[in-house]
Amino acid sequence: MDNAQEHIPLHDHKILVANRGEIAMRIMRACCKLGTAFTAIYTADDAASGHVRLARELGGEKSLYRVSSYHDANELMAVADAAGCTAVHPGYGFFAEDFRFARRVTKRDRKLIFIGPSWKIIRELGDKINTKRLARSLDVPTVPGSDRPIYDELEAERIAKTVFEFQEQQGIDHPLVLVKASAGGGGMGIEEVYDPDQFRSVYRRIRNYALRQFKDEGVLIEQRITDFNHLEVQIVADRSGRSPVHFGTRNCSIQSSGRQKRLEVAPGFAPEALSYTFDADRVLRDIVDYSLTMARKVGYDNVGTWEWIVTRKGDPFLMEVNTRIQVENGVSARIARVRGQGDIDLIAEQIRIGLGEPLGYGQADITFDGLGIEYRLIAEDPNNNFTPWVGHIEQFTWKPQPWLTMLTHVPTDEQYEIPTEFDPNLALAIVWGKDLEEAKARGLEFLRDLRLTGHNATGEPLQSNVDFLKTSTERILRF
Amino acid sequence: MLDISVVLDEIKAQPFREITIKTPHTGTVTFADIRQGDKVQGPQGQWKEKPGTLIATLERERNPKPIYAGEKGEISVLHTELEGRFVEAGTSLAVVRHPLTRAEVEHIILRKALYLFPAPERAKYYFTPDVDKKIRASDAHSVAVREGMELLIMSRMKREVPLHYSGPSGVIYSVYFKYNENIDAGSPLIGVCPQDQLPAIQDVIMRVQTEWTERD
Amino acid sequence: MDNNIEKRIQNLRDRLTYLNDIFAGKHRDNAELLEEKLLAFAERVRAEALEDPYAELASVEDLFSYVERRLEDNITAMDRVRIVRHPQRICLRDILENVYDNFTEVGGQDEYSLDPGMLIARAVITRRRGKKTYTQSVMVIGQEKGHGAEYRNGGSVKPWGNAKARQYMRVAETEGIPIHTYIFTPGSFPIEDYPGAAQQIARNIYCMAGLRVPVIAVISEGGSGGAEAIGLADKRLMLSHGYYSVISPEGAAAIEGHLKAGERATPELIEQCAHNLKITAQDNLRFGYIDRVVQEPPLGARPWHFDFFRHLRQEVLRATDEVVISTRTLPVLKGLAMARIRKPDANLDEMYTRWGLSAAAKDRLLAHRQQKFLRLSRLAARDRRPFFTKMAVATWDWASKPWVRFKYDFYRKHQRRIRTFMEEMGNEWDVFKGRLLAPWRRLTRKLPNAKSDAGSTQDLTALSSWSGEGQRKMWNYLSPRYKIDRAVTCPNSAAYGCLDLWGPDLFAEFAGVCSHCGYHFPMEPEWYVKNVFDLGSVFEFNSEIEAGNPLGFPGFDDRILAAQKKTKSKSGCMTFEARIDNIKLVVAMLMGTFRGGSVGAAEGYKFVEAAQRAEKKRYPFLAYVHGTAGIRIQEGTHGVIQMPRCTVAVRRYIESGGLYMVLYDTNSFAGPVASFLGCSPYQFAVRSSNIGFAGPGVIKETTGMDIPPKYHRSYRALSRGHIQGIWDRREIRANLKQALLTIGGRNLYYR
Repeated sequence: MDNAQEHIPLHDHKILVANRGEIAMRIMRACCKLGTAFTAIYTADDAASGHVRLARELGGEKSLYRVSSYHDANELMAVADAAGCTAVHPGYGFFAEDFRFARRVTKRDRKLIFIGPSWKIIRELGDKINTKRLARSLDVPTVPGSDRPIYDELEAERIAKTVFEFQEQQGIDHPLVLVKASAGGGGMGIEEVYDPDQFRSVYRRIRNYALRQFKDEGVLIEQRITDFNHLEVQIVADRSGRSPVHFGTRNCSIQSSGRQKRLEVAPGFAPEALSYTFDADRVLRDIVDYSLTMARKVGYDNVGTWEWIVTRKGDPFLMEVNTRIQVENGVSARIARVRGQGDIDLIAEQIRIGLGEPLGYGQADITFDGLGIEYRLIAEDPNNNFTPWVGHIEQFTWKPQPWLTMLTHVPTDEQYEIPTEFDPNLALAIVWGKDLEEAKARGLEFLRDLRLTGHNATGEPLQSNVDFLKTSTERILRF
Repeated sequence: MLDISVVLDEIKAQPFREITIKTPHTGTVTFADIRQGDKVQGPQGQWKEKPGTLIATLERERNPKPIYAGEKGEISVLHTELEGRFVEAGTSLAVVRHPLTRAEVEHIILRKALYLFPAPERAKYYFTPDVDKKIRASDAHSVAVREGMELLIMSRMKREVPLHYSGPSGVIYSVYFKYNENIDAGSPLIGVCPQDQLPAIQDVIMRVQTEWTERD
Repeated sequence: MDNNIEKRIQNLRDRLTYLNDIFAGKHRDNAELLEEKLLAFAERVRAEALEDPYAELASVEDLFSYVERRLEDNITAMDRVRIVRHPQRICLRDILENVYDNFTEVGGQDEYSLDPGMLIARAVITRRRGKKTYTQSVMVIGQEKGHGAEYRNGGSVKPWGNAKARQYMRVAETEGIPIHTYIFTPGSFPIEDYPGAAQQIARNIYCMAGLRVPVIAVISEGGSGGAEAIGLADKRLMLSHGYYSVISPEGAAAIEGHLKAGERATPELIEQCAHNLKITAQDNLRFGYIDRVVQEPPLGARPWHFDFFRHLRQEVLRATDEVVISTRTLPVLKGLAMARIRKPDANLDEMYTRWGLSAAAKDRLLAHRQQKFLRLSRLAARDRRPFFTKMAVATWDWASKPWVRFKYDFYRKHQRRIRTFMEEMGNEWDVFKGRLLAPWRRLTRKLPNAKSDAGSTQDLTALSSWSGEGQRKMWNYLSPRYKIDRAVTCPNSAAYGCLDLWGPDLFAEFAGVCSHCGYHFPMEPEWYVKNVFDLGSVFEFNSEIEAGNPLGFPGFDDRILAAQKKTKSKSGCMTFEARIDNIKLVVAMLMGTFRGGSVGAAEGYKFVEAAQRAEKKRYPFLAYVHGTAGIRIQEGTHGVIQMPRCTVAVRRYIESGGLYMVLYDTNSFAGPVASFLGCSPYQFAVRSSNIGFAGPGVIKETTGMDIPPKYHRSYRALSRGHIQGIWDRREIRANLKQALLTIGGRNLYYR
């Protein structure tokens, strides 16, 4: 990290908000809270988005620049220079986990601060094999299987056989082995094997696919875990990288059929209200400790999330590290207190430490209170494979409550056309309760009071996931 | 039935199209040596391989990018006040008064004469594989459409749905969408000519070919 | 008026027009004098005012001859160019009719021909010794410009015309008859349609480098690649008023004057270029690129110069006889025969030498021809190797030859037999051992602590060792452009919507490849040297051979110096030994950064040396063409001669069993592609490269045709069958290794 700019006080910084929608709004609000100036961007297609309106409100017309695309780093750099920005906040998605972008921001002639981990850490933890090997070197549990690309067929067969045997020993009824191209990603070149005799043909298929597609015939062989909960640990660390703290755990097991999160709960389990087949307290403690161990090892220097899967037997395995602020950070912040003080804003914290301020508190200062649920309100059809719905929104209202935080870029006082180019997320609703029962009751109350209607071009009414969220509320935190 | 003479006269009264040249992205503008009233050229050469007249240079991140005129015409507006300034994406640099070509006039008249099947939603559109094959084998005129026929695929937010044709039966005369291009709701996708009007339409084409003289 | 007189007056008128044309406005006074005399004479003849018109006519004709002889002395290089281009110039058909005794056209008739520009005929020559007559056959191949000029395309032969020539050379080889080629071409027609201009010329040259019959070439208009397509001969004769050049003077002037398309060079500049390029017969005789000059009548031969045809016949016969005699082995008889035919007053029609050759004589013929070309142009390159080095190289060559012979020719053969024997023995032993140990094995398998084949579950969760770890540094060399903070636009952005790339990413991590569409930006030669071959394995040799200015082309010394300074290299060709995953190979790299990668005497010298080194060491030979603009025009025929020379070297290498591969990058055009590069059976290209005979500008200028954009793209070259594959730059190393292993076969790179 370039330390030359460290002495600049927060209110002399100017941050380029390199994102859109809800996260852009949260970043702008955080900037205002910190007294830092900002510059926002938008595209012609997206001019009606709430973040454009908020940018006008908070920063005036001069704080807004129209660009050709959110995906074009050149546009962001050009605007940052023209507006005199000193730092870039990537939000999530777009450039958030792009180490090249982070590198460019910090290495260009007119240097800027990248509000996120240093580019080397993004690169290191962005590589799944590398992360897995790092975890193993620290005795952090990972999914059983290979931790390096396998090129040799005999070796591959040997590993696959061991993975099958391992699962049999564990008493798993239908053992599954996952074969995936080590150079792949995004679900390409992955196949499950349920029969050891079938392995060789699948292996060869994936190997050939990988060679064709990625010019590298290395494959990874892992156990396929089917029965698990998806947990996360929120890590926060300042630029010193020496004293990372955690902001608790989240349970993100309620997902769409395409494995997209729909409902998140903090903390990750509720052993005081529900009974588990394993020692849930210990699991939560363990994954937090493991995550912090890794963060310390790499000198992690911003906010990040360690993603875990926990099996029915209570075995946690590290999945990956997300080197960015996540959508669901708000639900962790909602239940956290620093030195007894609530109303935590993790994005403001991220900006503050990103700009070089010390964190200013330790783990002992962070306490947790109650239980938070975050609903992602999306126009989609949960009964039909969560197909996105396109059209315009006519009514979008809810009943304000002291325990409810609504984050949305959708205007509530005028019609809104859902843009087709971006994620169809409409809003995030965070509900707080002192315990599981209260949180669930309040969540259902909120969903009941919510009004969300609209039509598409052919006159069909809006479809949303509200009913899905309602039924899902019943089963939160149950394994 | 459309009175071609009237339409042609209408177009003749207004034989120009205003084309706004906009910045493709942000950057600092430097105008080329042109003035209001100058004639500009569109792309030239047998394969349109030579670009049109240079209008301005847009520099972003030390990468100067030339901006050329896309069609021939006359510069009617030139935003010289932007010289040397950093502008946003989509800022208007100049307006070119473009005399309509024969093909364009034909296009305008056909749009009035044909039945236009509109896009129901903003999306990308493709022909169904069967239809696509037919069009590739000969041309669009060979495809007869009728009410309820599965004609197109609408692709939007990574989801593809079939689209059924509704309107009079006939042959596809014009195709208004391009591969991988978003079409706004209500914009025409195809122009259909009912079988019995085919000679009339061909007559239109003939008349445009003979009666429209292209200007320089 | 007498018809005969009328004809002779017409002849004089033609001579006058000819004189005016070839001097293009010079020597006006002489022309005017002749015109005046001729007009006066014609008038008086018409008026029947002459007593003895024949005597008067003779004196006018004498005056014409006198003036022609006088002007002959101050004829310039450009005048010669105009002479060979003149419609009155002798054509191949004139030669067939007047030099040979009979002929049959075999490559088509008039316009009904695959390519009327290329004329092929079987011709016979009748000779007498004493009372006995002998009829000897030859295959005559050459460009035809006249006798139907409207379909001859000016002697600019299309690729299929050259293919036809090659086909009939093969026929002559089968029949064992000599080949006489007549070069009347301004250059080949530069289109890439199958078989492709460059490809076909390369095939022709490669073929001629190994033709097992005598080949005699006669040059009238020797325009670069088109000339070489039929020019690699045992004896090369040149007509005294012809020219032999790397490029037309106009083309050279366009390059020298840095003209853009459509602009015209001034006549003075063209004249100057013609002079500087040293294109005349005398110049080329001095350089050694032709063997003899055939003297023409003053101001050049025209179809009515029957004496000249007789003279040409003698010269062609002499050359053929000489080639045949030179393959004989008995020194005394050989010397005598040579002396007899070389006598200036010898009448070759009255002598007879059998033109058929024995198999051994054919071998000698081939060896002579190849050696002859390999020896050419050595002095045109500056060899700055210290005397000691040269001596050491020569000594080493001499000493190592028997060892190399032993190692590869004797030991290898027997080694294989020994290995097979050992393997068989080993198999027998294993079976025997297995039987012996079977009872013991059965026993141990039952023991409880026997190891299972599968690894323990511990392996599934603990860190494994992996040597690939930490290999984050992808490239050993980064383009210096990576240090510049700027965005770069991909040329494909309009078609593929590529976003601007950030220079430091593009020129370092991305290896100059657009991350969206895969377009390859050109990289420096060093990038390949350091990133393709094993680190530290590159050993350069012959770096002291320097590009120079052998023609003394004005101002060119400075330009060569500038290029040397810029690239820190002494010539445009770097030759080195290197390894890829421990596979050793010899590489000759043409660097596009050194005067466009053009090839001159030094580059050719180094290329030939590299091919010979690869042959000696039994290594595969790779020509990596970072870029080449063609033959270096400022070296004139010193450059052109590299086409046959290097091809001969390559052919010798391939025929001795070597694996010769070519890899094109960026832009590769003209001479080198049309000879020693294009003749490789294994040519590959790096993506986004352009390959062809002539660039779009040259095609437009020489043919008037517009060619579509992307005409020379590597993918087109692949479709046309020129190259065998297209490689991604980032995978050159892997692909090369694969090619070496698969094409080189089990014995790796050497049969």
